[in-house]
Amino acid sequence: MRVVLVGFGNLGRGLSRAFIQKASFLHRSYGLIPRVVAAVDEFGAVVDEKGLDLARLLEAAEKKGTVAAAKGGKRGKLAIKVIEDVEADVVYELTPTNIKTGEPGLTHIKRAMRAGKHVITSNKGPLVVAFRELDSLAKRCGVEFRYSASVGGAVPVIELARKLLAGNEIREIRGVLNGTTNYILTRMTTEGAPFEIVLREAQELGIAEKDPTLDLEGIDTACKLVILADSLLGMNAKLGDVRRTGITRIGPEAIRLAQEAGQTIKLVGIARRGSLEVGPKLVPLGHPLAVGGTLNAVTFELDLAREISIAGFGAGPKETSSSLLGDLIDIHRTLGG
Amino acid sequence: MRVKIVMELEDVPGQLLRALEPISRFGGNIQSIMHQRERKTPLGRLPVMLIFEIGDRARLNRILAALRSRGIRVTQLGEREGAVRTTVLLVGHIIHTDIRDTIDRLNAVKDVMVSDLSLAMGAPGKESSARMTITAADEKRANLAISKLQRIADRKKLLMITSLGGV
Ligand SMILES: NC(=O)c1ccc[n+]([C@@H]2O[C@H](COP(=O)([O-])OP(=O)(O)OC[C@H]3O[C@@H](n4cnc5c(N)ncnc54)[C@H](OP(=O)(O)O)[C@@H]3O)[C@@H](O)[C@H]2O)c1
Repeated sequence: MRVVLVGFGNLGRGLSRAFIQKASFLHRSYGLIPRVVAAVDEFGAVVDEKGLDLARLLEAAEKKGTVAAAKGGKRGKLAIKVIEDVEADVVYELTPTNIKTGEPGLTHIKRAMRAGKHVITSNKGPLVVAFRELDSLAKRCGVEFRYSASVGGAVPVIELARKLLAGNEIREIRGVLNGTTNYILTRMTTEGAPFEIVLREAQELGIAEKDPTLDLEGIDTACKLVILADSLLGMNAKLGDVRRTGITRIGPEAIRLAQEAGQTIKLVGIARRGSLEVGPKLVPLGHPLAVGGTLNAVTFELDLAREISIAGFGAGPKETSSSLLGDLIDIHRTLGG
Repeated sequence: MRVKIVMELEDVPGQLLRALEPISRFGGNIQSIMHQRERKTPLGRLPVMLIFEIGDRARLNRILAALRSRGIRVTQLGEREGAVRTTVLLVGHIIHTDIRDTIDRLNAVKDVMVSDLSLAMGAPGKESSARMTITAADEKRANLAISKLQRIADRKKLLMITSLGGV
């Protein structure tokens, strides 16, 4: 399969490493040979229709900060050109998230679909802004569209529901979907330290961003909830439909009171047909959603299976490459490979 | 089944956790914990009332045995049905916004009672937190109480944190 990587940051690189590491496994197990024919970042692109040398590409990008520095690379070459002009089967859209406009990902995805290319993305922006539009565009263009990594990182939330729980009606989805806030709440629990101190620690460790607003105010969780609602509950929700409270008012005292009652506080997103909510909730200790650290967890409430929960790493280049690779294998199989 | 026990704990840190551990280990789902500070025993022990949900009698017996082996005295044991309890947290200027009034308004709802209250003061100038256990005759009443409390919290600019999965 010929693959284009749009965005070569944490995830683009993590995925490339997985391609290298898994090459013979993919061939042996699935008869799949991913061939990266182009990589693009903000500075430029590198194209080789015979397949790029990924080890060299990683080295050049890490040393010089752009894929354009790799052999044959061109500065200033735009993603859109590459997406439309390079012969390929699948486009990975891995650029930064913009939850207001969805750009540049939204344009990348639409152009790729119109050019008859399958799309795999980790980017929440385009999905939050235009899920329905992209979903039907994919159908109209006859291409596959996967976005497992956009919710839950390595945790196969969407695919679990879509495939293995396909015989169920989903009544409710509850999830701890943001690693940063979960880390902060966990550290306040274990250390009894004030919010500001734990936040600073998280920033120093690179777990929280310099401007942590999207995480702390529950906006990131709300985005993921919208994607789950649209993709699994058949809703046509927008970010503004989510009732939302963040965690900034929660201190160690509140957490201690919760613990004394056998509970803990988690930032939980709850999606039911017609009602989307993000806010801090009391969760019993030992409950499947009471996961610590940066972990993510999701519980589905179902008509047949009743409750199914799943947990794991919600971010990280290596961890998330599991979902990105899984999507490619899934498309390969869907197409009869 | 729902079980109510009263046990006597030494009034030193860590005792409550020691007592709760076997309950969760054998699958008990703790629903309410109430310290009865005003009923301290002459030897200085603190009665604590616990309500938990447990699958069957065999598990309950194992819990009781584990408590005994830890030297924890259970002074009352009863199975109960009916009442619904739910725990909520409030964060904000709880005292300044008259916690007494908040409780009175909830107690004014028929068949609803605030059965436990714990306060934790924040650092000076910071917000405080409170944990409240609301006992109601049934689920409908409990939900009524929760929505009433939510309206009060909104008006008093308190953050209200409810239990996952409602009542
Ligand atoms: N990191 C994770 O664990 C994780 C997990 C799940 C989902 N996600 C999502 O996945 C996406 C990628 O994450 P990441 O951590 O890899 O981000 P990142 O490290 O910031 O990488 C983003 C990449 O996109 C490139 N880019 C930016 N604007 C572009 C444009 N207009 N055209 C082409 N390339 C462009 C950047 O190029 P320059 O470096 O040249 O600016 C960079 O290579 C984000 O939407 C993120 O929210 C991340």
